[in-house]
Formats: sequence, C-alpha cells, structure tokens
Amino acid sequence: MIKLRMKFKKHGPIRFLGHLDVMRYVQKAIRRAEIDIKYSEGYSPHQILSFAQPLSVGSTTDGDYMDMTLISCNSPEEVMYKLNGVMNEGIEITGVSVLPEKSENAMTSVAAAEYIISFRDGKAPSFDISKTMEAFMSNDHVMAVKKTKNGEKEIDIKPLIYIWEVIDNNKIHVLLSAGSAANLKAALLIDSIYKFAEEEMKEFAPVFHRLDTYLAGDDDNGHYVQPMIMDAVREDSFSVRDGVKEGKIYV
Amino acid sequence: MNEKLALSDEILLSIQKPERYIGGEVNSVIKDLSDIKIRFAFCFPDVYEIGMSHLGIQILYGMFNEYDDVWCERVYSPWDDLDKVMRRDNIPLFALESQDPVKDFDFLGFTLQYEMCYTNILQVLDLSGIPIYSKDRTWDDPIVIGGGPCTYNPEPIADFFDIFYIGEGETQYRALFDLYEKAKESGMSREDFLINCSKLPGLYIPSLYDISYNQDGTVSAITPLNGAPSVIHKELEKDLSNAYYPMKPVMPFIKVTQDRVVMEVMRGCIRGCRFCQAGQLYRPLRERDVNKLKEYAITLLKNTGYEEISLSSLSTSDYTHLDELLDFLIDYCNEHKVNISLPSLRIDAFSLDVMSKVQDVKKSSLTFAPEAGTQRMRNVINKGLTEEDILRGSHEAFEGGWNKVKLYFMLGLPGETTEDIEGIGDIANKIAVEYFETVPKEKRNGRTIEITASTSFFVPKPFTPFQWASMNTKDEFLEKANITRKGIMSQLNQKHIKYNWHEADASMLEGILARGDRRLSDVIYNVYKRGCIFDAWSEYFKNDIWMEEMEKAGLDPMFYVKRERTKDEILPWDMINCGVTKEFLWREWERSKEGVVSPNCRQSCMGCGGASYGVGICFEPKINN
Ligand code: SF4
Repeated sequence: MIKLRMKFKKHGPIRFLGHLDVMRYVQKAIRRAEIDIKYSEGYSPHQILSFAQPLSVGSTTDGDYMDMTLISCNSPEEVMYKLNGVMNEGIEITGVSVLPEKSENAMTSVAAAEYIISFRDGKAPSFDISKTMEAFMSNDHVMAVKKTKNGEKEIDIKPLIYIWEVIDNNKIHVLLSAGSAANLKAALLIDSIYKFAEEEMKEFAPVFHRLDTYLAGDDDNGHYVQPMIMDAVREDSFSVRDGVKEGKIYV
Repeated sequence: MNEKLALSDEILLSIQKPERYIGGEVNSVIKDLSDIKIRFAFCFPDVYEIGMSHLGIQILYGMFNEYDDVWCERVYSPWDDLDKVMRRDNIPLFALESQDPVKDFDFLGFTLQYEMCYTNILQVLDLSGIPIYSKDRTWDDPIVIGGGPCTYNPEPIADFFDIFYIGEGETQYRALFDLYEKAKESGMSREDFLINCSKLPGLYIPSLYDISYNQDGTVSAITPLNGAPSVIHKELEKDLSNAYYPMKPVMPFIKVTQDRVVMEVMRGCIRGCRFCQAGQLYRPLRERDVNKLKEYAITLLKNTGYEEISLSSLSTSDYTHLDELLDFLIDYCNEHKVNISLPSLRIDAFSLDVMSKVQDVKKSSLTFAPEAGTQRMRNVINKGLTEEDILRGSHEAFEGGWNKVKLYFMLGLPGETTEDIEGIGDIANKIAVEYFETVPKEKRNGRTIEITASTSFFVPKPFTPFQWASMNTKDEFLEKANITRKGIMSQLNQKHIKYNWHEADASMLEGILARGDRRLSDVIYNVYKRGCIFDAWSEYFKNDIWMEEMEKAGLDPMFYVKRERTKDEILPWDMINCGVTKEFLWREWERSKEGVVSPNCRQSCMGCGGASYGVGICFEPKINN
C-alpha cells in the first residue's frame, strides 16, 4: 500500500466544473490511466481518494491537492505521467509526494490558501485598492459576517489574513487561513473590503485564482505554514520569496 | 487548448450547471477548420443530461468524425434559464466543441426520439437565427435534417425540415456528404440540391410532396414533385457486427441519465407486441457478434473509465449469446470493479441467477411489464407474458431474497373492458399472496413485500397494428385510472401495493402529434411563439395553449385521437415504408380484434416484409417449425 499526494492545476473552461464533478472526473481518469488504486469493500466499491479544500465554481488554481491510496505503483512520478496522459487540457498534475502511511488526509491537513484576486474588465472597484487595503488592515479588528451551518456569525477576520499585498494597483495577493479550524474564504474577504469602502460590488466582479494550498507545522522557529508540495510552486508565491526557507512562512 | 467560450463568465456563473455549455468533455472531438469541408451540428432537442445519454448520437458523432472532411459537434436545448438570457442578450446558439454559432454550420441534424420535443426543435432553430420554415432558408443557412423514430411520421414537423433521414444512420450519410460537397463546388441551387437528395435511398424531402385533403380532413393524395419517389424505404444496417461502433464515447462532466458505458447488443426485436412502435421500426432483428461485444466492453471501459456498463436492446433476454456474454462480463467486471446494470431482463431462473451476482438483492426490485391486466387483453396486444410466468418468476425471486416488485401496465388499449382494468389489482394481489406463501414469517427479517403498479396511457403509433385504432380521451383515461385505483384498493393486500399513473393531457398531445398530419406544423409554430418549450417536462407543458391554437387552426383534437381509421384511408405517413407492410399490420390488427396471438420471429415467420432486407432473424432456422 502506498499513499500519494498530488498537486494539480486547473485553468481554462474546466474552471466551471463543480467540486463533485472534478472528483468524478478524476475518478474516471484514474481508471483510464489504469492506476492500481485501492477500493473500499462492498457492493459499490469506491476509490480511496480525497480532495483538499474545494474551490468555488469559476475559479482557477495552480495548487489544489488530492490524496490517493494505491495498492502498487512503479514510482510516484509514473502515476503522475500516466494520469496526465489521460486528462483533458486544462487540468494537470504538477507534483507528487509519498505520504507516510498514517498521515492525515488532504482535507484535514489544510491550514492556509494563497490567492490572487483580480477584477473582471469594467468591474473593478472605484476606490483605490492599495489605499483601501492599507486602511482596512490598519484596524485592530476586522469584523465580518460569516455564514455557518447554524446561521450567521460575526468573526474577526484580521488574524486570518496572514500576508497581503496589492500588485499592479489592481490585484490583491493574500495568504489566508484555511481548513476546518479557521477558514477564511477569499470571497468573504472581498465582501468585507467593499463594505469597509462603503461601495456596492458589481455582480461577478472578482476573479479568484488559487496559487497554492498550505499545511501547518511547528519547528524551533515556531508555527509555520508551507505549500503541501513544494513542486511547481509559482515564482510569485509568498512561499518562494527571498528569505523563505523550504517554503515555510511563520505565522 | 480551446479557451474560447461562447458565454461570458457572468452568464456561466449565473445559470444552473454551466458545464452543460462549455464543451471540452473527455473524448469530444476538436478539428482544424482548414481541413474541414462539412461542419455538422448534431442536436438532441432536449436538455444536455437527456441528450448526452442517447446512444444514437454517440454512434453518428463518432462515425462522422472518422471522416477527414467532416467535423461533427453537439448541440442541446439550452435550459430555460439560459434560453431567457440568450434571447435577452441576442446570443446565437452555439455548438459545444468549437463554441461557434450553429448558423455557420453546413448541417443541423436533429434526432427525434419523442413527439413532445417538437417545440424544442423550433427553440434551437430560433436561437440559432435559422428560419423556422424550410421554405424560407437559403444557402446561408444549414441544411436541417431529422432522423430517429419520429421521422416515420414526420408530417407534423414537415414544414421545418429540409430533409428527413428514414432509417438507420450508418448507411447513407457518406453519400449525402459527397452530394453536398459536389453541390457546393458546382454552385448548384439549394432547391436542386434537395431534389438530388431525393434520389438517394432513405432521404425524404418533405417540400417535394404535395399533400391534399378531403372534406373530412383525411388525406386525399400525396403527390411527389420533381421526380421524387412515391415511397421512401427505410435504410437498414445489414452488417451490424462490422458496422461502426464508437469506442470513445463523449463523457459528460456532470451526471447524466446514462452515466455508464452503453453497449448495443442487437437491433430489432423478435416479439411483435402490437402496441410497440420500436418493435416494428427496427425489424428485422440483427444480433452483434458476441466476441466483438466482449472486445467492445473491454475497450469501452478502458477508454472511458466508467464504473458501470449496461447492455442495450429492445429485449436483451432474446440475445442468443446472452449467457456467454454475461459470464464474461461478470468475470471481467468483478476484477475491474465495474458494476453491471442489467436492463429489464425477462424474469426467470437464469436472469435471477445473474441478477443475484451483480446487484444487491435487498435493494433491487423485480420488473414485470404485463402491460394489461387479463390474459384476454394480453392476447389482444400480443404480449406473451402470462400470469403463470409472473407468479413463477416472483416465487423464485422471493426465494432468492427479493421483496420489491414493479409492474407496468397500459390503460386505454383497444377493446379494453372494466374487467381488464380490474385485473391489474388482481395480479398485484396475487403476487403479494405468492410472497406470503413463499416466505414464511420467520424468514422475512422484518421486511415485507412492496409492490408498485404503474400505468401509462396507451398512445397508438404509426407502423403498428394499432395505427388505425381509436385512442381514449383524457376523461376516459382518468376514469380508467380511477377504476384501477379502486381495483387495487379493494384487494386484500392493498396496503402492500402502491399505484402510480401518468398525466393524461400530455398523452393526448402525444397522440395528436404521433398520428398527425402536415397541417399541425403551423400549430406547433404558434404554440412555440406563445412560449411553449420543454413540453416533455410536465412543469413546462401548457396544454391550454396547444388546445387553443388547434382550435384557431380549425383542427379538432378528436379527429386525430379518437377516430378509428378505415383500411382504405391514406395515412399521413404513407410515403414512408418502414420495412413492414401495411398488409401485415392490417392482418395483425384483425388478429388482435379476435384475440389471436402471433408467434415471434424465432418461432415462425409472420411474413411482415422485413425479410426483404435479406438479413437477420428472417434467415435463421425457426424453433417451432
Ligand atoms: S419477415 Fe418474418 S422473420 Fe423476418 S422480421 Fe418479419 S416476421 Fe420476423
């Protein structure tokens, strides 16, 4: 038995697939590629496969992840090549790592996610994004209304925004807390900024692109987050900037 | 990569299931336009999930795309939400693969599987910006061609089509494409092209036929013009085993109705059920080679990655090598974690054994389709399933652990009496009694028998022995559903029997369109203009508008529905020959009135006319003689 974690990117028209359909898509690709994946027992056996952090319909990604348990394989890289051989253009495995057998699955290990948020043509806010972000982040607390299973809840999102910057004066680049413990959706962040600026957002204004998904760890220097796989990390990611070792960002 | 999308992000994010419209599915075909002479848009005029589940399109899509000079793409009816947006923003309907407007294509082909999709044809034409009526089209518009079961009486939609392809698509499309290319090169007029098409076998060009009517509304003459043939013979694939079969079916991203590999094991049916149109249209029965099917199964599962495979035909139990095929599939599929979904097999020891191997007995149900409540009525419709068969099958199934039974019946069959209708409750009750006798209390494990009886309303169809028959009206149908319900309620075991029935309004319209004539084309256009689409979806079906427009057109629904036709009446579809002769159908109509059953094609030949194709069951030794 071998447990693999794969990093994949998704761009182009396929961004309109819902999360469940991406899963169904990958399940069939695994079968086409004849990967020796493990199945559950019973009348309708399913593949032992899990996905990290769903992405909203219409968003693109360079760093989404899935874990799969295989009965056998020649090498992790071969699994990656085989899968890429049967996938549509627009979805591609870019990295693979072997997980210890008793590791947490992809879903539960997510700790942060990094996004670039831009605006569709003609839908950018009228306020100055840099100045507004500056003012927005200078508050001690940034309260936002989060929808949960049990209704609405007011939370302070400031501690969930790990790093931020504005690029080209029109895009917001952020590293946000994610996962089951404290999840901040990029959409909620944008809503809050508009609210802060007292401006009505145009429908479908923001475009979300996920750069990477992070897991958490601790070492002598403290608590950090780090891309789930260091392969194929984009040049402009916070995790590969100057002075960041092994992609570790201490938070 | 084709990054192009016909719809903006804003639209795609604001409608349901944007994946219906983005194309790019696994195994969908992209070609380089510079190599292409013919662009073919293939449309199933209903929502994506229904259309993508249709095997016929997959076959022709694959076959056309094997041709170097042809690029075939797919189109479906935009669902109501997108339909509104496209009209509001003037967005032309597009094909999925290239996302290019359908209007730029050379052909727009429709597969016509049920009458209730007719207004959706107009939706597709309209959204594409193609003139609704054939007579208004020019070379700037695609050639609009229709195929599928509804083309055996295409008259109600005759005005909207340039060509109808009568019969199985495998045979004549190449010739049609060649003719089209020649016509385009030589600068031939569209009219002359269509006249030339009428010389090809199987192609019916409705504009080349003049239809005149008697005072009473029946057809007085069908007059071919410009040398068009007086009869168009159905096209038939004579060598099914070696015919093209798509090994790389297009796989939808979203869950659709047929979310599995579908393998056609044979075409045609040996059983001459007298109500069944498909049973006549696809005669004679031709089987696919069992070794080929085994290969197909492996290849198809490999090429798709589907977790399920299903066998398709009108009556899979009649496939000669079924046990061999299933043995093979069960082994292969077990090893590869693939489910086998069995079509409704005839319930007997063999099928129960197979079913127990491939499904969870506790969850699955047995399906019987007696279609009628008494043996007398079943003889009338030539349904060779007896009460004894049902009870024996049920008994064996109960012993095997099943406890759910589904029963299908029709109401409104020719010559039906109250006794026949009440027989439905009787059979259901007897099955319950069988259960209690077969499975003693201590073996029931807290479970009990669950029987579901469903009735649909019988709609007479062209090219069946009942094409002359009177159809019931809505009130008669509802009355009969009521008798059925009361009949079930009066049974001892009624609390174990659930009863479902279908809408009667929709059946009436289906009856009008199925045996309608060309005068209905305007009615269809008028109801479409008043907002009717998706008539097959009960939540969208607006019966009142249909009835109003028929009245405005001076057409009486009862003329189409209620009237029993005479032997010498010219039927609106008499220019079509589906392989079985009118004489044979009339003989069967008479036999049905006497309650005489007819043997199936494997027992002996009834001389239906199908043998003229020179292949299939007609030339195999008979079992009884
Ligand atoms: S000709 Fe005879 S055997 Fe052939 S399809 Fe007709 S009835 Fe059946």
